[in-house]
Amino acid sequence: MSSENTSHSLDRPTREVTLSVNGETVAAEVEPRLKLSDFLRQECGLRGVRVGCEHGVCGACTVLVDGRSTKSCLTYAVQVEGASVTTVEGLSEDGDLHPIQESFHQEHALQCGFCTSGFVMATKELLDREPDPDREAIEEGLADNICRCTGYQNIYDAVDRAAAELAEADYPRGED
Amino acid sequence: MSEVEPTGDATAGGEDERESFVGTGLERVEDRRILTGDAEYIHDKAPANAVHMALARSVHPHATIVDVDTSAAEDHPDCLAVVTGEDLRAEYNPMPCGLNEFEEWSLAVDKVRFVGEPVVAVVAPDRYAAEDLVDLVDIEYEQHDPVVDAMDAREDETLVHEDVGTNVPDGETLEFGDVDEAFEAADNVLEGEYSWGRISGVPLETAGVVAEYDPDDDAFDVDCNIQLHTLVDDTVYETLGYPPEKVNLEVPPDVGGSFGTKIAIHRYCVLASVASQLLDGRPVKFVEDRVENLQGGDMASSDREYRVRLAYDDDGTIRGVDTWFVDDFGAFPRYPVNQALKPLSVVTNAYDVAHVRYDYEIVTTNKTSQTAYRGFGVPAHLHALEMTVDEMAHELGVDPVDVRQANLVRPDQMPHKIPTGNVYDSGDFPAALDRIQDIVEDEEVCEGGLLDPDVVAAKRDEGKYRGVSYTVHIEPGVSGSDWTDRQRTETGALEEREREDVEELPEHFRIELHEDGTVQAYLATDTSGQGHQTLVTQLLADELGVLPSDVEVGYLDSVTAPTEYGTAASRMAVMLSGATEGAAAELRHNCRQLAAEEAFGSARDDIAYRDGGVECQQSGERLELPELAELDSGRGQRLTRVQYDYDHPTTERPEFDEALTKKFPVYPTAAFAANAPIVEVDAKTGEVEVLSFYSLRDCGTRLNPTIVDGQAHGGLAQGVGAALMEEFQYDEEGQPKAITMFEYLLPSTANMPDIELEHSETPSPFTATGAKGTGEGGMIDGPVAIASSINAALREFDFVTDQIPMTPHRVRRRLRDEE
Repeated sequence: MSSENTSHSLDRPTREVTLSVNGETVAAEVEPRLKLSDFLRQECGLRGVRVGCEHGVCGACTVLVDGRSTKSCLTYAVQVEGASVTTVEGLSEDGDLHPIQESFHQEHALQCGFCTSGFVMATKELLDREPDPDREAIEEGLADNICRCTGYQNIYDAVDRAAAELAEADYPRGED
Repeated sequence: MSEVEPTGDATAGGEDERESFVGTGLERVEDRRILTGDAEYIHDKAPANAVHMALARSVHPHATIVDVDTSAAEDHPDCLAVVTGEDLRAEYNPMPCGLNEFEEWSLAVDKVRFVGEPVVAVVAPDRYAAEDLVDLVDIEYEQHDPVVDAMDAREDETLVHEDVGTNVPDGETLEFGDVDEAFEAADNVLEGEYSWGRISGVPLETAGVVAEYDPDDDAFDVDCNIQLHTLVDDTVYETLGYPPEKVNLEVPPDVGGSFGTKIAIHRYCVLASVASQLLDGRPVKFVEDRVENLQGGDMASSDREYRVRLAYDDDGTIRGVDTWFVDDFGAFPRYPVNQALKPLSVVTNAYDVAHVRYDYEIVTTNKTSQTAYRGFGVPAHLHALEMTVDEMAHELGVDPVDVRQANLVRPDQMPHKIPTGNVYDSGDFPAALDRIQDIVEDEEVCEGGLLDPDVVAAKRDEGKYRGVSYTVHIEPGVSGSDWTDRQRTETGALEEREREDVEELPEHFRIELHEDGTVQAYLATDTSGQGHQTLVTQLLADELGVLPSDVEVGYLDSVTAPTEYGTAASRMAVMLSGATEGAAAELRHNCRQLAAEEAFGSARDDIAYRDGGVECQQSGERLELPELAELDSGRGQRLTRVQYDYDHPTTERPEFDEALTKKFPVYPTAAFAANAPIVEVDAKTGEVEVLSFYSLRDCGTRLNPTIVDGQAHGGLAQGVGAALMEEFQYDEEGQPKAITMFEYLLPSTANMPDIELEHSETPSPFTATGAKGTGEGGMIDGPVAIASSINAALREFDFVTDQIPMTPHRVRRRLRDEE
């Protein structure tokens, strides 16, 4: 057993990256190998970005990069230089839940909640692209996200409800 | 409370004045923080000065450790600490095991016994650096033949544990009734072999821990997402060699799913604690990555080979069941060894059968160890049993639904004691089976339905076979605790036991009134998505006549809480609701007492609790809860702080005495389901699609119907996954084949059918609220129901599903063999 109880300054190569995160410009020196998911969680304090598999299957880390849903665990922070990133924290305005979030709440479309940020962001992209999706489009649009608790039934209902709410409210969409 | 409260305030506000929150789908109080990203899971805990652990794991299934060279790692400037198995052996203890004779260390010593077994722990300032260090650890192995196949393991040619001397460390043959006579007297006997694959929960959040050693107190704070932290904390403190009060396990209010699996993450809690101690109290964080989780994360569950004999008469009456199975527990028989026993609580499923033999063997192999998973060993048993019933129907040339109906326990037989001594509390199984059949025939066996005879025939011409089977299943709920150590109890001691030797763990609960009007409640268990905070909020709003927004629900850590069972075995709907109601009654009583002593100057009996306050019957004076809290604040013995222990429902029920005394599984609620999944089998590809899943479910009184439906949906989704795609396979060399989510396949929107839920509500006569457990149902009854529907679809091939999961490859192979 060995230990050394001192702090090290890690001497590893870094690169500068500048991007927009939830509308604010962020500039940081990061290791090229730093995943976008870890960058958002650790450097930006956005813990709503969940990390479930780190190999691009579960979708818990889904964020929008320039409006496109992206698995942040498969993306390096340096790859999004100049891009605009939106996380679940960027959805709600003035403390009000975004209609997608509210619909997930109303339809009991979450249990443990670990997949929820990813589903909400994937739904955001889906509804930006296709404001009135039928069931097949919903299934396809969310097929890259895994939920282990809900059996998806209530998620389908939540997406339907969100689509209706957004149509009604004329909520801004796809602004990125 | 034995006394009668004035104003008959069983629902404190008076039922005629306000509506009840219980029984409604109150929106979950947990949701907002989750939806906004605010929820703090263990992965999010990040003390400023925390450092990070990573593990070097075995790449071999079975090998002697010849040398562990950590010098290169230690020489690296990022290295803060290194721990090896030898270090642990010198200063700590092995981890408690499910069977007494096993010695499992948190890091392997001498030998590795499965791919992914941790061998060395390293600590660095961040996780990236820690993983770099892992690459610098050099472990020299001498490989041995791996023990991979469970049936071969029984031959003991190669031993997984030389010191134990056998690969079959546990097993028992249990007879109930006169099995041999029943089999001799029966007109027919059939025998079938059925295999259940290594399937498990795979929650989206992996295991995690942040441990901090306090050098001044010589104690540990361990934040982690372990399940049952007030029960299995012994697996951490015993391993560290400390008394319980020195090792405090605390679980965040949000855990990203567990389904039983996180009961067994104590290894990580221990290692992070050891590392923090080594670093004089610097917090050490470890989060299991997904490959670690799937490959060697103690994540697998029941893996069984069954041989079942069924004795039955020509008229379809089942006379006896004789079941034998081998359960592959992997490298170490962990705490959930009693997963092999739980099926005893539901051994005859919903059938009335008097004669049963139950014979099992636990084997060790070079695979990751089993942990608990939703259903706790029952799904495999029900699958094997129901497949023999389908075989029987085929042999007799009758419709399976008719032989099922003929053998079901009837409502006039309730409560019904099954041969093993467990008792089904209530339910009308025959009516449920009839109803689900009627529903499907009305909705789907008609023009435009999935089973429209014309459509079925047309599909048949394309090589696609549709079918449905109607089945009934019991979900045994609310496990007792005393029986769970049966396999660690000496046979002699078992025989000498008497009823008073039985000690059941109650459910502990606390409430405090605060002067700002908050009703602060505390659970003594952890939650992983079930909505316990919502459930408690509903119950307390009703019981205390307050608004849901007045209620705050927190969690006790393992040092503050007494040892208790917690969230497992479909317990919480019953145990938590019973504890909440009991605590609320005590608080109402205390509020009246307080007002009597400190305010109204009248007798307690003249004071009523009403609408979130107390009232003097004579003077009409009234005190609200915040005023009562203030009144109480100066007192020595606080009346507005109560704790309550709700006893297990079996403790006052003599019908369970025999099972309790003999340490046979007691599950005093029988939730049940009548299922009808409609499946389509593509004979060319072997692919099975569940087109729609009809399920009539009864879990007694539904405290929150929205949450009940959510449990059903999620359980059935896991049931679909188990039935058709999920499995931890190993190759012949003992290498795991499912180490990413590309190989361990989870159901997605692409494979989940519509679930059509129906409900009936038969309150339990054994529980405080009439609720029955309902946390596991769909995973218990989904796979077997789908298997039976596959049999129906492929009836013309005499096909009976003999293996779970029924992957396309396996279906094709079977059909090819038939051809």
